[in-house]
Amino acid sequence: MEKLKILVLLSMIAILITGSCQVAQETKGVYISGTSAGDAETLNWILAADSASLGYVGHTLDSLATYDNEWNIQLRCAARDVEVSEDGLVYTVTIRDDLKWSDGSPVTAEDYVYTLKDLMFSDWLNYTYQSDWQEQVNDETVFVTPEVVNKTTFTITRQTVDPEFIYTVRNLTPYPKYIATKYEGDIDAFTQAPEFNNLTYTGNLGPYKFVEWIRNDKFVVERNPEYYLGKDISAPYFEQYIVKLFGTPATCHAALEAGDIAYAGIDPPHVAKFKAIERINVYTVPTTGYLLLAYNLRDNGWEGLKQKEVRQALSMAISKELLIEKVLFGFGEPAYSFIPKPSPWYVYIATAKYGVEPLLDEEKAKERLLETGYATQRADGSIEVADKEGKPLKLTLVTNSGNDIRENVGHLVKEELSAIGIEVELKFVPWATELRKYLMNKVPGTEQELGYNNGPRAVSEEPWDLMVMGFNTHPLSPSGQDVFYATQGGLNFWGYSNSRVDELFQRIKSEEALDEGVRKQLYAELSQLVAEEQPVNFLAFQLANAGFQKNVKGIEPGINMGYNYHLWYFE
Amino acid sequence: MKKTWLRDYIIKRLLLAIFIAWAVLTITFVLVRVGPTSPADKYLANLTARGQDAAQVVAAIEARYGVDIPIYEQYINYIVNLGRGDWGWSLSTSMPVMELIKTHWIYSFQLIFLSSILAALIGILIGIYSAVRQYSKTDYIATFFSFIGISIPNFWLGVMLILLFSVKLGLFKTYYDTGIPLFSLANLQQLILPVITLGTGMMAAYTRYTRSAMLDNLRKEFVRTARAKGLPERTVIGKHVFRNAILPLITIIMFDLGSIVFGGAYLTEIIFGIPGLGQISFNAIFADDYAVVVAVTVISAFLILMINLITDITYTYLDPRIRYD
Repeated sequence: MEKLKILVLLSMIAILITGSCQVAQETKGVYISGTSAGDAETLNWILAADSASLGYVGHTLDSLATYDNEWNIQLRCAARDVEVSEDGLVYTVTIRDDLKWSDGSPVTAEDYVYTLKDLMFSDWLNYTYQSDWQEQVNDETVFVTPEVVNKTTFTITRQTVDPEFIYTVRNLTPYPKYIATKYEGDIDAFTQAPEFNNLTYTGNLGPYKFVEWIRNDKFVVERNPEYYLGKDISAPYFEQYIVKLFGTPATCHAALEAGDIAYAGIDPPHVAKFKAIERINVYTVPTTGYLLLAYNLRDNGWEGLKQKEVRQALSMAISKELLIEKVLFGFGEPAYSFIPKPSPWYVYIATAKYGVEPLLDEEKAKERLLETGYATQRADGSIEVADKEGKPLKLTLVTNSGNDIRENVGHLVKEELSAIGIEVELKFVPWATELRKYLMNKVPGTEQELGYNNGPRAVSEEPWDLMVMGFNTHPLSPSGQDVFYATQGGLNFWGYSNSRVDELFQRIKSEEALDEGVRKQLYAELSQLVAEEQPVNFLAFQLANAGFQKNVKGIEPGINMGYNYHLWYFE
Repeated sequence: MKKTWLRDYIIKRLLLAIFIAWAVLTITFVLVRVGPTSPADKYLANLTARGQDAAQVVAAIEARYGVDIPIYEQYINYIVNLGRGDWGWSLSTSMPVMELIKTHWIYSFQLIFLSSILAALIGILIGIYSAVRQYSKTDYIATFFSFIGISIPNFWLGVMLILLFSVKLGLFKTYYDTGIPLFSLANLQQLILPVITLGTGMMAAYTRYTRSAMLDNLRKEFVRTARAKGLPERTVIGKHVFRNAILPLITIIMFDLGSIVFGGAYLTEIIFGIPGLGQISFNAIFADDYAVVVAVTVISAFLILMINLITDITYTYLDPRIRYD
């Protein structure tokens, strides 16, 4: 019996060991990732404002940490997770002690603090995302305070609590102080620095090393044998990793079909075709993008939209499931707020679900419009939607031209609203026109400069009522959406204002929300409130389709599918 | 004698070209900056994911693009730098503008050059044959295919060729591979589909132009005289008719070659993933990359002027009666 116990124990240990350790794979092949999303702008990442640039650099330079598909933290350059003091003001970061720059010198806490203090916070570099590292103290905008503790440890101290600041900290990557000081204070020299534009400094900080970047063609990196995460398992397993650019999705799809590339994103109409190809795996995964129908709540929009009940009525007339089926070819999920399903803060129960049954009902929509005075009842009991003067209701829907999905949503909204007697005029305009004529606003008759939210009295140059838009949200910190839905939000184009919503956004970024349970409750109330209020009609969260050649192994499909891509290999 | 007036003419045209290039530069410089758009427009989508301060981001980007200082200051800085041979830094590709153009012109050049030459050779031959055999079955067939060639959009033809020859038959790669050496057979092979795509329309047009120019000349008195003198038909067509018909064709072919910088092969480059100047210049326009837009416009204007000059000089050799004094 004793022997049996020992045998079971040994077996369990063996399973644990083999289960927890990554098995080394053979290194071979060139992995080509196809994209038609456009080229990067710079490899000097601190100057980048586009996602492609950050994506390219990410192959050679890890952040402090990342997340798997379930949002579990995955340590990268950090030796352990960022520690937050009990009062939520001090963040202590400890980096690994085996990180090296290309000249062999160690990456230290000094490099991180220098990057923050002397580069990101400087007034000569014009770092685009400075506001990530700023806070409001006594009506003044100030930077957080980074400090070196020792070679591998530094702290960042805030004066106000923001429980979601930790996500910003985990995302930090460093510049080498020994190189950057050469260019300090000279924006042109820094912009054109060959070390930063050719990524010659990245040492063992990323799974790959830079080889070449041919603009509008390809970005090539090769296996980094020194990669700190690959030491024991010889990762990564591709000899080279190439991002190949295509001018159109059609040619990118053709390359995947022909087997010329290992990966490509697949547009919804073509998914069925690729699923039928034996040697291609198609994974459908969630995204952070959502479609919405915005209501103009400013003075040059239809006045009815200012009433919550009217917005609810319009939302009750537009079927989210039909939209997902017809426009997104089934690759979407109904949205009820800006918090996506994969977010830890997502709440399903008790959220008003306008646009799906039972809150999808033309008759109820008309009844609600009748209650608000925007319809008349005939002798036969039928309801005719009309404005306060009894004239037929006509609304203008605007969206940016050239975006098939948004244009098709516009057509569907027109059809759905015409079923309850509202005529919709469609206007598809270029993005720059949409931005300047319909979104940016100012108070009429003043010298005010156009802005994205110039207060409650501001209006856009051209009137509009409905607008199809697409936004991204961050599943871990959806409170960043306050830019759209808080009264003072910098991108609150449509003039929505609700004091309770403002308060909840503030409380999520306050001390009480350090308790995750409390934060979850606050998010729950916020999502229930916006679902009820309908500041916009949250239409659908989009799903993405990723097509891989079947011989690519090690993939874990999910919202953060690439988190372990250094472990992918060719069979 | 000819040498003197031709030299004076060339000098005059060169001076004029420099003046026009400067005017084009100034107009382009002003136009791209006074437009209502901001280089920050395209970043608004990124802001939405991270919830940053929109006004701060816009200000930072405009400062980086140098549009936060008065336009006359920007212009003076630009001209001073240009005087030092510095065409500026491309902010949308992160490299010096001149290096960008130097790296990418060859991809457009090889495509347009091969397409033009091939299209001219085949198109002119078919055009001559069609004119000589006017209203024959061969002429009708050539006319039919010429109209098809002119009507087919490049982007459609390119995608169809890829689907047929690359995806279905596996004869070619689906995209242009810059890893293959430029001067190699493999490179020529991978240019076959792009050259067919770009060259089909050109060839059809050359066929029509040649046929029309040949027919014009075939009806002229000197042709009847040549035939009456008993010259062989090959000599009449080749030496007398074709030599007169080729003048307008030279202009068209030269302008096609001149479109290298201006993005004449943009659609073909897009379809086959060829990183030529067409893609570079169009992307620069959408990215508000002022330095590239100005450089590409000025260089293409200057190139067109030079091609025009070369065409005019070529005329004087093809037809010694032509003088510009």
